[in-house]
Amino acid sequence: MSDANATAASTDAAPRFVAALGALPHCISQSPDGPVIEVDVANLHAVLAALRDRAGFEMCSFVTCIDHYPAEPRFALHHQLLSLAHNDRVRVRCVLPGESAPTCTDLWPGANYMERECFDMFGVRFEGHPDLRRLLMPDGYDHYPLRKEFPHHGIEPDRLYREWDRARRASWTEDAQ
Amino acid sequence: MGSLKPVGPESNEQQGSGFFATRADFLINWSRKNSLWPMPLGLSCCGIELMGLLGPKFDLARFGAEAARFTPRQCDLLIVAGTLTWKMAQAARTIYDQMPDPKWVVAMGVCSSSGGMYDSYSVVQGIDSIMPVDVYVPGCPPRPDAVIDAVLKLQKKIEREDPLGRLIGPATAPRPEEGTGKLVFQPNQGLPKGAWDKHAHDPKSRMPLSDPLPRKTEVKP
Repeated sequence: MSDANATAASTDAAPRFVAALGALPHCISQSPDGPVIEVDVANLHAVLAALRDRAGFEMCSFVTCIDHYPAEPRFALHHQLLSLAHNDRVRVRCVLPGESAPTCTDLWPGANYMERECFDMFGVRFEGHPDLRRLLMPDGYDHYPLRKEFPHHGIEPDRLYREWDRARRASWTEDAQ
Repeated sequence: MGSLKPVGPESNEQQGSGFFATRADFLINWSRKNSLWPMPLGLSCCGIELMGLLGPKFDLARFGAEAARFTPRQCDLLIVAGTLTWKMAQAARTIYDQMPDPKWVVAMGVCSSSGGMYDSYSVVQGIDSIMPVDVYVPGCPPRPDAVIDAVLKLQKKIEREDPLGRLIGPATAPRPEEGTGKLVFQPNQGLPKGAWDKHAHDPKSRMPLSDPLPRKTEVKP
């Protein structure tokens, strides 16, 4: 998107979602990518629902998390929303006080995998998520790889494979006996 | 090395109904090396090169290894082409275990040889940490020519194996103990290294030049 389109989209979008948010506490700023709405975690789900229902943001482009370690609170959740009808975008930024956040899969079912990936990589628990499992890393993995304190080479990356291999070899000897 | 030439009295009556005499291990190795059945384990972009290798342009059928089967039960050559993650490692090891003996493994590309550029928590840093490897192929991805070279090197390696050692007892090396996690069957263990084990670009294995090329400063006008 060129700069002219970006500024046009942001000026078009601002009055729409300002009216949609109404009395919900929020803080609007401008970023090079467009407008950013900062909300706290208690109002996150209400703001997302208002943006979807009253401002026409019918698509959730992505849900991701940023780790600001060692700052506290460290996790910031980002929802990027897209309005296909109005051709503009808005980002909702929410600093998480802990490691849990409300889910938005009831608003956009497509956010299911993105929240699972967010849980997989950062350990953010989405309350109310229908199926909060790991997406990329194997089940049983103990760590969250995209956290800042996670080392580059991982922590025992072969542990699950070695455990599986040991159990398999042990079953062979049981069969032989 | 054995040969496949007819023996017997050199008479004209028996030429048509002759018989062959050769060494059994030579015959077994000869038939094995010329009918390798690859199991293509294409994990990333190396798999595309592997498709080109099996296709008509590079034509692995010239070396008897074109019959790719997608079940490990019918294969004896596992070509690990691409990035092996730790999550996939269980499946790869299961595939290796399901292949019937004798079996060989080619690590195609730097990712399967050493992890390659994925110096990461999720990637196996070389598949030789989960299975034995016979030939490593460098490249990212390697050209199909390089994999053909690997198959030819593997054929030379199969020639030197001892196929009857498992039946009639240890030939060259004592068998490792079972259940210790060591490999039970290592066909080339203890064999003296031959010319094929030397790398072609190793300066120690290079032939000495009888008449060394003159340096530029020594060239006289």
